Amino acid sequence: MSQTKASRYSDQGMRAVWAIEDNQAVVAWAQTRPGKFALLVLAFLALCTTEEWQEALFFVTAMGLFAYYPPWRSMVFFVSTYTVAFFFSTASIDDAISEVALTEGFVTWSPVALSYVALVVFSFLAWGLMAYARYDKQSLLTRRPVLTLLGIECLLCLLSYKGIFSGYARLALWSLLSVLTPYFWFLVYALVDQRSKDRNNDLFQLGTFHPAWGGSSSSPIGKGAAYLRKVFAKTPEELAITQIKAVKLLIWAKVISITRMLLTWLFVGHFHIPTVSDAMDASLQNHAYSLGMEWASLIWSVIAYSLKVAIYGHFAVGAGRLAGFRLPRLSWRPLESRTLIDYFNRFHYYFKELLVDFFFIPTFFSVFKKHPRLRLFFATFMAAGVGNALFHFMSEIEMLETMGLWCMVETYHSYLFYCFVLATGIGISQVRANAGYKPSASLWGRIQSFFVVWGFVTILHLFGDESRNHSLIERMHYLASMFGWF
Amino acid sequence: MENIRNQKIRDYLTETLKNQGDKQPLTDSDSLFVSGRLDSVSMMMLVVYLEDEFAVNFKAEDFEVTLIDSVDAIASLIASQVLA
Repeated sequence: MSQTKASRYSDQGMRAVWAIEDNQAVVAWAQTRPGKFALLVLAFLALCTTEEWQEALFFVTAMGLFAYYPPWRSMVFFVSTYTVAFFFSTASIDDAISEVALTEGFVTWSPVALSYVALVVFSFLAWGLMAYARYDKQSLLTRRPVLTLLGIECLLCLLSYKGIFSGYARLALWSLLSVLTPYFWFLVYALVDQRSKDRNNDLFQLGTFHPAWGGSSSSPIGKGAAYLRKVFAKTPEELAITQIKAVKLLIWAKVISITRMLLTWLFVGHFHIPTVSDAMDASLQNHAYSLGMEWASLIWSVIAYSLKVAIYGHFAVGAGRLAGFRLPRLSWRPLESRTLIDYFNRFHYYFKELLVDFFFIPTFFSVFKKHPRLRLFFATFMAAGVGNALFHFMSEIEMLETMGLWCMVETYHSYLFYCFVLATGIGISQVRANAGYKPSASLWGRIQSFFVVWGFVTILHLFGDESRNHSLIERMHYLASMFGWF
Repeated sequence: MENIRNQKIRDYLTETLKNQGDKQPLTDSDSLFVSGRLDSVSMMMLVVYLEDEFAVNFKAEDFEVTLIDSVDAIASLIASQVLA
């Protein structure tokens, strides 16, 4: 691996002390049988908790088989993905289905069983769509998979909405919608890959649909098969290095997880810092907490959320690296962000990549070619604003049943505002970066960058939670009161 | 002609890497983006540079990062568009 500057793959400075993957003796040992076994044991210990040791054991075994037995890879990938989906419930499809099952009178039907059937049906449909995309490379599905699938999603929403169909038909349509939505972006990546000459077989492609390491996140960690092919370790030495980094990252995730628990005990258990929602409620009911407590609540919420994303990301990426995929970290030193575009790149890398792949690039190559700054800003806005809003709106599709469409849109205003402001900030930052703007690298410059970036992120966080408990106006009023304006 | 073109590409990329604090040597086959050496901002700046300097015509549905992931890949892309 090339020795480049500190990146998502390598370490420098103080971290070089822990860079045992640079030690040739360790790398050589990691390629021996005892070494491989030790790495898997360490990974298991880092992954397991008392309640979920079986899942960790299954997972480590599957990733080990994938890494060490090339002829079995597609089958192992497929089986591990669907085993986790069926037995460890990575996607909460049954919650979404149960609402409609109850409404339509199917009270004795198991939502879990329904979700399994829906997942099987969806998988066959996805298989068929991939085959069609290969057959007709000029079809709308192949050339514009996002638009086509969005069309299907909208059609399913319309047909499964109350009053259009009822009974079995409505339940079937709703079940399909409930599966398509969390698997949407995985299917898009798979359809795009059907154009590649060196695409993986269908078993492998289906294995990328919520792979075992990715949890329930709708944004594909590791993107799709095309990306996984590029980043897979090419030599036994690279595999060993990748797996050493995997174990390190899993251990680091465990450390951050314990840190988060301790901080939660301290700030919530000991200092009784309220949630932002509770602080807002209190303010709206004229029983406001002190200004210090309100700011502490907001700052703690940002810290807790950032740690949650980092913990989840490190576990997922560490687990994927165990299989031999040289995956960049999901969250990479976000506190060192120098600009907003830098923050967007560092905070949730795979979500950013999804927005770049399916919103930024199509927009960038389509519009304002004669106006470079406008082109860059608009493409960034489409990604960080429109794509972001669409992604999160879709991720709560079950609210179509619990709230209805109008209420779902109405309570989304705050998050839309969040996306608009975030996208504008990131767009301006992108244009400035393109023009050569670089913040000062001095200590004072870095401190300034930290406060500008994280000040922006913290204030915007007030509008970015997806609780839908407070309107945009209420949040703005609360923010103004935090600055002493009310 | 080809050598001049490739040298222009190398000079541009070397400058871009240097601006990001990366002073490691660049070979023609080194991965730029898949390896993480350059980010998506740099990728878009490179796209704009190739459009302006070499009149490369990118289409959204055909774009893949591997098309511009190394000096060799960029040179092949430019050559294929010249021939077409």
